[in-house]
Parts: sequence; C-alpha cells; structure tokens
Amino acid sequence: MTTLDATRPHDAKPGPEVDNYLTFTRGFLSWALTLDHKRIGLMYLVSVLGSFLVGGIFALLVRTELLTPGATIPGVDENLYNQFFTLHGAIMVFLVIIPSIPAALGNFVLPIMLGAKDVAFPRLNLCSYYLWIMGAICAVVSLTVGGFDTGWTFYTPYSTTTSTGGVIPVVTGVFILGFSSIFTGMNFVVTIHKLRPPGMTWFRMPLLLWALYATALIQVLATPVLAITLLMLIVERVFLIGLFDPAMGGDPVLFQHFFWFYSHPAVYIMILPAMGIISEIISVHAHRHIFGYRFIAFSSVAIAIFSFLVWGHHMFTSGQSPLMNTVFSLITFSVAIPSAIKIFNWMATLYRGSISINTPMLYGLGFIFLFTIGGLTGLHLGTLNTDIHLHDTYFVVAHFHYVMMGSALIAMVGGLHHWWPKMVGRMYNERHGIIGFALVFIGFNVTFFTQFMLGSHGMPRRYYDYPSEFQIYHVISTIGSYIMAAGFFWTLYLLVQSLFTGKIAPANPWGGRSLEWQCSSPPPHDNFKTTPSVGDCYDFSVVRWSEEEGGYVVDRNDEDASKPDH
Amino acid sequence: MANIVSPFEDPSTRLSAGRFGMLIFIASLAMIFAASILGVMVVRFEDSGVWPPEGMPSLPGILLWSTVVLIASSGTQVLASRAAGRGDGPALRRWMIMTLGLAIVFLIMQGWAWIDLLDRGLDFSRHLYAWTFYFLTGLHALHVIGGVIPMCFVTARAVRLGYTRENHRGVAYVAMYWHFLDVAWITLYVTLLWGVGTLPW
Repeated sequence: MTTLDATRPHDAKPGPEVDNYLTFTRGFLSWALTLDHKRIGLMYLVSVLGSFLVGGIFALLVRTELLTPGATIPGVDENLYNQFFTLHGAIMVFLVIIPSIPAALGNFVLPIMLGAKDVAFPRLNLCSYYLWIMGAICAVVSLTVGGFDTGWTFYTPYSTTTSTGGVIPVVTGVFILGFSSIFTGMNFVVTIHKLRPPGMTWFRMPLLLWALYATALIQVLATPVLAITLLMLIVERVFLIGLFDPAMGGDPVLFQHFFWFYSHPAVYIMILPAMGIISEIISVHAHRHIFGYRFIAFSSVAIAIFSFLVWGHHMFTSGQSPLMNTVFSLITFSVAIPSAIKIFNWMATLYRGSISINTPMLYGLGFIFLFTIGGLTGLHLGTLNTDIHLHDTYFVVAHFHYVMMGSALIAMVGGLHHWWPKMVGRMYNERHGIIGFALVFIGFNVTFFTQFMLGSHGMPRRYYDYPSEFQIYHVISTIGSYIMAAGFFWTLYLLVQSLFTGKIAPANPWGGRSLEWQCSSPPPHDNFKTTPSVGDCYDFSVVRWSEEEGGYVVDRNDEDASKPDH
Repeated sequence: MANIVSPFEDPSTRLSAGRFGMLIFIASLAMIFAASILGVMVVRFEDSGVWPPEGMPSLPGILLWSTVVLIASSGTQVLASRAAGRGDGPALRRWMIMTLGLAIVFLIMQGWAWIDLLDRGLDFSRHLYAWTFYFLTGLHALHVIGGVIPMCFVTARAVRLGYTRENHRGVAYVAMYWHFLDVAWITLYVTLLWGVGTLPW
C-alpha cells in the first residue's frame, strides 16, 4: 500500500530506490548474520530447494533402476540401491518437507500476515537456520563415510547392525534438525500469542497462521521424543547394550513406538501448513470469503491433537495386541473427519466464487484432488484387514507420496508461486507457470497412481528386483517421474527467469486481503511503518483493481474494523 | 549488529514473551524426560527378574543426598528471584552464588554416584539395569550442565549488581529452568527407586 512506502526509515541511506528487505543492507555478512525473518525465510527456501534437488536426483536414480527387473543402471547393485532409496527418504523428509512450509515460507509470511515486525525471538530464528545447516552437513558427512541403508525410518535391528558407516552421522544430523524444528515451533507459538497487533484477534488470523500454530505445537511436543529415540539408537549402536535386542532383554518394537510417536505427528507437521496455504490460495484466487472459517481453524487444532494418538497404525503388523490395533484403527479413522471438513469448506469457498485460473490456484485445485486421493487411500491402510495385505507394498508408497508430495509439496510450490511476487518483487510468467503445473501434476499422477496398482497386486516396497509381470507398471511410473522432474526444472527456470525479466510486482497482485498484501513488494525491512489496521482478512468486497497501481487495492473507507468476526 | 528490528514495543511484553517462550521450551524438554521415563518403565516391565540383578550393586545412597542438595538449590533460587523482584542487589548476589554453588555440588555428587557404581563393576553395557541408571542420571546431568552455564552468566551479572527491579529477565529465565530440572530429577529418582523395588508400590 502506498501509505506504507510513503515514509522511509530515517536511518536508511538516501537513494532513488524504495526501501526493501532485499537491498536494505548489502554484503555476505548482512545475509549470513541477518535477524530479519524474511531473509532467514529466503535462506531456508534456497537451502530446502537445494536439498530437494539432491533428494530428487536419488528418486530418479531409484526409478531408473526399477525400469527393468534386476540390475538396470551399470554399477548399481542391490546395496547401493538400498542406499539410494534411504537417502531419498531421509533427505526428503527431514531436510525438505518438514522445514519447507513452516521454516521457509512460514518464516517469510507469518510475521507479516500477523502484522508483527519480526518473530518473537529473531536470534533463535537464525540459530534454527544454522542448526538446519549443521544437520545437513552431518547428512553429507554420512555419505562420505559409507552412507546408510536402513530406510529413512532407522528401524532396529537394521540400524544397529548394518555395516554401512554413515548411520551415526546421519542420526546425529536428524537429531540436530529436530532441534532446528523445535526452535522454529517455539518461535511461532510465542509470536502468535504475544505479537498480534491490536485488532488481530485469534479469529481474525488468516487460516495459514492457525495451521502454522497447530503445526508448531506438534513440533514442540513431538520432536523431543524423536531426539531421545535417536539418542538411544546412537547409544545402542555404539555400546550394544541390548535396549532393542530381545536376546539381551530389550524390545525392537519399543523403537518403533518411539519413532512413530514422533514420525506420525511429523506427517501432520508436513500436511497442516500445506492445508493452511490452500485455505489462503483458494479464497484469494476465488475472490470469495473462506467458507467455515472456524471449522477450518478448529480442524487444524483437532488434527494436531489426533496426530498424537494414531502412531500405532504404522505397527499393525509389528505384533501389537489386537485390542491396541483396533483402538489405533478407530482413532485413525477419526482423523478423516477434520480433514474432510477442510476439503468440503474449500469446495464451498470455490462454489460461486470468481475463480482466477492462474498458477497458484491450479496448485490449490491440484492439492484438493491429490489430497483427497491420498487421504482416502489412507482409510484402506487404516482398516486392519486390508492393511495386512497392503502393508509394506507400493500401495503404501503411493499413499504417502500422495500426501507428502502430492499434497505437502504441491502446496509448498503453489504457495511459492502465490508469494513469489511478494518475496522478490517480480511477477513470474503466468503461462509458463501453468505449463510447469501441468507437467508436475500429470507426471505425479502417472508416477504414483500406477504404484497403487503395483502395490495392490503385491509388489513389496524397497525391493531391488521384481517378477517381470510388474515391469509395465514400473516403466510407466518411471516415465511419470521423468515428466515430473521436467516440470520441476521448468518451474525452477521460470522462477529464476522472473528475477531478470519478470515485470515489477504490485503490492497486491492477486487481490489478497491479509496484511502481507498491504506492504510493498518486496516488503520493507521492518514490514510495517505504522501499526497496520486489521480487518476481516477474507472479506474481498472492499478489494478492487486499480489501474494506476497495476494491482489490487483495499478501499479502507469501506472497511468496518469494528465488525464482529465470523 | 545494526539494523535490528525489535519485535517488541515495550520491555514488559518482552518479558512476558520470554517467559512464555521458556514455558514452551520446558514443555518440550518435559517430553524428552517423559519419553525417557516411559522407555525405562517398558524395559523394567519386560524384565520379570529382580532389580538390581544378582551380583550387581544397588543404587548409590548418595543419590538421596544429591536430591536434597538440588531441592535446596531450588529454594535458594526462589530467594534469589524474590530479591531480584524487590530490586535488592546484594541479596540477589548472595542467593545466586549460593544456588550456583549448590548446583555444582549436585553435579559433583552425581559424578560421585557414577564413579561409585563403576568402581563396583557396573559397566554401562552390562545389563539394562545399568543402562537405566546411567541413562536417566546422565540425561539429567547434561541438562543441569546446560543450565549451569547460563546460570554462571546470570550470577556474574548479579555479582556486578547488574540487575534492576525492572529488568531481571535473566534471573527469571534461569529460575524457571532450574525449578523444572528439580521436578524432573525427583521424577527420575522416583522412577529409579521404583525400578529396584524400593518403593512400597
């Protein structure tokens, strides 16, 4: 908004350009030691996308190896293959998806959407980033000392007995990444509690903030359990005390309980912020008030609570008692309720909306489609008798890719397009964006829908070799993965291209109503010169297109700040 | 660092945000201890034998005294916090030094307990009984060390009379953490006693 650029900070150097966080100070150190949440978010984004590239390369290696039964890539034997899928999983889960939305996009948008100048603890925020870097370095170190082939779940006794030398470094790395995640979560919880400006009541917060809040609670309360589990694992591997070894009085299933007590909530660390992004994208690009605001907000919290109570559904075949299995199965089904509430509310928001079919909206619609498939196939796996058949098959692989990639990552990429003009101040090419979406969406479904069929026909996951009747499915799936890779490279290209040739972004290119669209693009160093006035962030009736701004403006006169929220 | 944008308008919101942040952090740490205790309990439940197993030493008696020392340090910390709230610099100095001293004595006593058990031949990896002892005391000691370091800084500043009635955030944060470690230790100690069947239930 013009009111925000009009006054310049008195300490800024005089110059022709408008103050923004990218050019506020210059030089490597001004980035490496920055306490600005926007810069930290951007650094996370670059780091996470770098890891995504590495994890993606391992995924392509896995898919290429599976093109034919037995050996396909010269020099890749079954042991190396085990390392490939393990690395793919570990990198994608711990380095990419868990930090992607909260740490990268969340860091950038959360304080601005809230109307705060920064997160509550900016130094801790920077510390989280460097913890992430240290965790990533540990993962790289583990590769140089022999890698690891335990699967991303580090199940005992594989992880305590495997001869690959990288287990301890990578487990240490994940331990450190856990603390990065905990500190980010702490920061977000305190920020949302303590830094809401006057007028920003809980029920005026954009739904992304509700989602990030629920996510942060999980990060704070579940991640410590992972930390202690990994510590036990390291001790067990070094000293062989028998904690997870039945021959010495231990219990291997204890590890699984501990691991999933974190790692199931971790799934919601991935999906909740994705749902938050979708709530924003759907309402902004449909230019329609979000339907059922409170239901969506409470569903986020409900999912966060359920997330702590369903870990046992990963262990239906691990020898839990039938009673435990039944209880976990029942609670698992209940997660479908808040998830479905969200889906239906998004549909109702779209209904009679004035939908702009642009890239973020397409990713949003893609999310709804893919998450519905991912969620519904989860019911097959939560059903005890079908799970016995489907457990550890490609059906599981397809299911969690629909949720973790097709939903969490697609939402992340959609959110990236949505906030890209805000982050860098440039518009990407809309037509190119749509091509990128089409490639990713088609490639994704070709890759993973096929795997539902593979799995229900009995192809086990993590296998290097397979009977030749499965080959046709594997070939289709691999082709899909190449299409998807092309889509992601294309997306990278179009985003980088926009930095050079994209047209200058207006403050509000989409007609959004939440506070980040009231700052200039890119936002100034301290976000808001004056305390922003907070209205209903989904009331688009006061938003209109302005020719001279080249973007949307909010008619403040029409705004009734005292209107009760609904 | 220049160009810091402080997210807080006034110091009192900063204190309340800091305290709230500590609370969240402590909740997070509490999950670590809770998970550890559950793990130890599962290990104990699955072993139907008597603890300590035949030929292995019982828990060192010094643990009882170290517990007393830790509770006492929590008490002196309360007095330090009150002194800080009154703006009474000399009393704050006295009670912070006392708390720090007791904290270090506690650590020495825990180290003593370890040496005692190692002397009596209880290796870390000999039996899961040994593991539960070293694991719980070690985990707690690490957190104590993590608390003593900031406590050193706070005490040093208290010695210089660097805290005022309005601004004593450091004292407040250290106190919260310290009381948490106190409660955590009592819980862990009770778990250890339960493991060897000392408790009546």
